[in-house]
Amino acid sequence: MTRPPQSLQGWTHEAQLSVLARADTARLKAFADPLITDLPDISVVENRTGLVMLPMRDTAQGTHFHLGEVLMSEARISADGQEGYAMRRGRDLAAAMAMAVVDLVVALGHAQDACRAFLEAEAKAQSDADTLTLRRVEATRVDMETF
Amino acid sequence: MAYVATRGGERAIEQSQRLFKAEMGTITPERVAEIRAAMPYLIDRVMGEASLYDEDLAALALAQTGGELYEAVLLLRAWRTTQPRIAVAEPVTQGALFTHRRISAAFKDIPGGQVLGPTLDYAHRILATEVLDGQTNSPEPVEAAAKPSPAQQPSVAAWQAENGLLSGAVSDTLTGNDIPDVTREPLLFPAKRAHTLQSLARAETGGVLALGYAAQRGYGQAHPTVNELRLAEAEVVVTHPRGTQFSAGRVKVSQAEVVSKKGEQLELGFSATLGWNEVKVIAAATLDLNSKGAPKGSATEEEFFLYHTEGVESSGFCIHFKLPHYVTFQSSLDAMRDAKAKKAAKEKSPELAE
Repeated sequence: MTRPPQSLQGWTHEAQLSVLARADTARLKAFADPLITDLPDISVVENRTGLVMLPMRDTAQGTHFHLGEVLMSEARISADGQEGYAMRRGRDLAAAMAMAVVDLVVALGHAQDACRAFLEAEAKAQSDADTLTLRRVEATRVDMETF
Repeated sequence: MAYVATRGGERAIEQSQRLFKAEMGTITPERVAEIRAAMPYLIDRVMGEASLYDEDLAALALAQTGGELYEAVLLLRAWRTTQPRIAVAEPVTQGALFTHRRISAAFKDIPGGQVLGPTLDYAHRILATEVLDGQTNSPEPVEAAAKPSPAQQPSVAAWQAENGLLSGAVSDTLTGNDIPDVTREPLLFPAKRAHTLQSLARAETGGVLALGYAAQRGYGQAHPTVNELRLAEAEVVVTHPRGTQFSAGRVKVSQAEVVSKKGEQLELGFSATLGWNEVKVIAAATLDLNSKGAPKGSATEEEFFLYHTEGVESSGFCIHFKLPHYVTFQSSLDAMRDAKAKKAAKEKSPELAE
């Protein structure tokens, strides 16, 4: 019987995947590469580029409509009854494969401490970058007075 | 039916393409990276009109076409057809946008306030000619505030609806592949609203501006005021095979609402596009605002503006006129000569014409 996928303590699957999808490409590849050696035989189900259509809700009437398509790289792999999946922006198939490897490693319950440390470091880098962006945006705030 | 054969055409075509490419020289990864880094707004414009979001591909298309925008967009639209559609993401909502710029010309005290974000609206337009004399021109660094701006901002339209100024938008129940898609079905009139907004999202900026400007100058039924303009980033939320929804990354989007008084309430026009292109969305929202009840054949009539702002179709139709029309043109000349000959014969011998 296949056991359920493991999860990373302190991390939701959603947060884990969202951080991995935005993770620095070079660091992600460098982190995922050595993880492969400890995995059982991996089957690659999918590793391709493709498009994701992005809809938006119109604020005037509430209609959902398509803004356009976004180029994505997707990877889907399996090992020992578990699946690893990735989708990231751009056409870097190796980066998508690296993300899928981390997702698979977590699902198998391997290298949990290392994965948690990597995700925490990436999450902090992303949060710091967002905060800096928003501090720069805040510098452009205008207050208006009527005389 | 007759045809004209061209001798030496293959060689001439090959050499003409070489001549075009010779002007641009060698395309390198470094050149593509430089275009991407130095021209983000041009990249955004091309991605929006191509309806394909990827900065590297857009930069490559610009490099490959020497900045011939119609060709760049056509290249991207053509490349898009080689790719499978993996998924349809969850609909982007205004309240979830990671907002960089958000202003209103209708209300000064909108909930959440106004942030100018990146803009040249208030800049002196002075060409930095010193660069041509060998100097560099580096931007002054932004003096970041101590506290960040809120990433998400409330909706002005929702606030207006709460105050009885607008009819609140009723959220669509269609999602995924059920959302009408002009890339997979014909654009018919009266158009579905989803088709109208998608067509405007991928429309050619200059065309939308020309017709939107016509409406703004008085050739429309309603004068627009910008209710809310946003430049932001949207999360592309997709689904993992285990059912977990997650963000596969962010893309830049622009969104504009324009407002006009209608009876005792306000009426909104809306537009959004991929990339940051605020001229396009303000003009497009103006067309949306004016389209209801617009006279047939006017700039603000839906069929008129949707057909005439599709950049690949309109530029393709325009440039097809330079392709050989020898047989049809000769036929016109023959008809003209025949009419002339008949007229001359009639003048010479009026009885022959009876």
